[in-house]
Amino acid sequence: MMRPQDNSEQAAAWIARMDSSDWSAQGEAELQLWLAGDPLRRGALLQAEAAWLSLDKVDDGVAAIHGRQRFSRRTVLGTASALAATLIGALFWRRSGTVYRTEVGEIRHVPLADGSSATINSDSEVKVRLADNRREVRLASGEAWFRVMKDPVRPFVVEAGQVVVQAVGTAFSVRRRENGADVLVTEGVVETWAAQADGHRIRLVAGQSAFVGDNAEVRMAAATPSSVDRTLAWRSGTIDLSGERVVDAIDEFNRYNRRKLVLENPRLASEQFDGSFRTDDPEGFANAVGRSFGVAIDRNDPNVIRIGGPS
Amino acid sequence: MTDEFSEAGERRRIARWVADEVLPHEAKVRGWLRRARVSSEDIDEIIQEAYSRLSMLERVDHIDSGYSYFFSITRNLLTRRLKRQRIVPFEAIAEIDAFVDDKPSPERQVAGKIAYARILDMIELLPERCRQVMRLRKIEGWTQRAIAEHLGVTEKAIEKQIWTGVRMIREAWSRGEQDAENRLDYSERRGGEQ
Repeated sequence: MMRPQDNSEQAAAWIARMDSSDWSAQGEAELQLWLAGDPLRRGALLQAEAAWLSLDKVDDGVAAIHGRQRFSRRTVLGTASALAATLIGALFWRRSGTVYRTEVGEIRHVPLADGSSATINSDSEVKVRLADNRREVRLASGEAWFRVMKDPVRPFVVEAGQVVVQAVGTAFSVRRRENGADVLVTEGVVETWAAQADGHRIRLVAGQSAFVGDNAEVRMAAATPSSVDRTLAWRSGTIDLSGERVVDAIDEFNRYNRRKLVLENPRLASEQFDGSFRTDDPEGFANAVGRSFGVAIDRNDPNVIRIGGPS
Repeated sequence: MTDEFSEAGERRRIARWVADEVLPHEAKVRGWLRRARVSSEDIDEIIQEAYSRLSMLERVDHIDSGYSYFFSITRNLLTRRLKRQRIVPFEAIAEIDAFVDDKPSPERQVAGKIAYARILDMIELLPERCRQVMRLRKIEGWTQRAIAEHLGVTEKAIEKQIWTGVRMIREAWSRGEQDAENRLDYSERRGGEQ
């Protein structure tokens, strides 16, 4: 009757059982079965496990900070894929037609019921429907990176406006633009086309990217491995700049933050800039630009950071 | 170390983070939901759903404030619920609008990290048998089996005491037990419960 309370009680029992000496694969299987019975149980279990761990002595704060630093960007990128299809949550979204929305600054990793996963960038909306013959994803806005579990009888199809991208088992990202979409392949092969011009399919292989216009215009770009890494750095909360124009970098930061960067000095616009920043640290970027080009940074307005105002 | 990147390791790492960054603030988030006139059954469900969302995170090192993160998940869940409802209490709207100002000050966030002494206090509040088992398990680091042998009971009996312990500690966090002002209230209630 009281679903959350029952879940909590049972979750506590699982924690106690997992802690006992006869915890086995059999127990693990039973646990998974229990978890599959109600999506809220994942939460109940996490809450109970956290309560259990809260009683352990931790060197105040220090351990947490170390944990944070140990995960360098490379490590995260390397392991992201391995962790992508974890069971956690895979049983969670069995319903069809689920909408995932991220807020500005939020980056969300969503395991899908078929074992695939989506990592959704800031300010984006993705709708997922897993049917028997087809896995459909609609990218209503923003950007997402998909790792697709191989399933030859159920193609994985992403629609971004007029642009369609189809894969069987691979990893790729799609970013909606005003008149089309960017497609970037990190593993395997995808086919992409504009809905209006079905038949004109292009194949992209790992390391390639292309802009596909709503009007079926295609602009290919051979992406080097390092540029793929950089373009997808957002998955680890990083913006990686290597010779990007300042004005483009500013657009990039503004995707992730409510506090917007404004370039007051147009002469800087096409200056190139290098550096690695956290997506939620526009101020760090502004400061670096200020130092590099010797311009003033105005932080007086809580909503805006002005770069290169009159000094 | 060995299971650092395994699924179980990842699950544990997130649970550790939740223990440090979210659990200490759960009572405050519940309080906020109460102020928004959410029924206690619905609060339990929203909170459990919010934890479910956390359980889907692949990693947490990009999240600066667990409190703010948890709060915004909860707020989104509440907003979605209210949209389905035809009559929305005015207080709910007011609370949602007030959310932005409700972030804890840096001092409060630090205060949210609970001192170990307070955690020992939480164990002290457990019923006697349960307290004894939890102390041996958590403070002395004995296994369930060793505790069973020491006390001359079955391992199942120990597991049951641990179950009670986990349940009560979780409830204590939900109620904000670590706040001194709530503790008196709690021990009074506890007398009536069992």
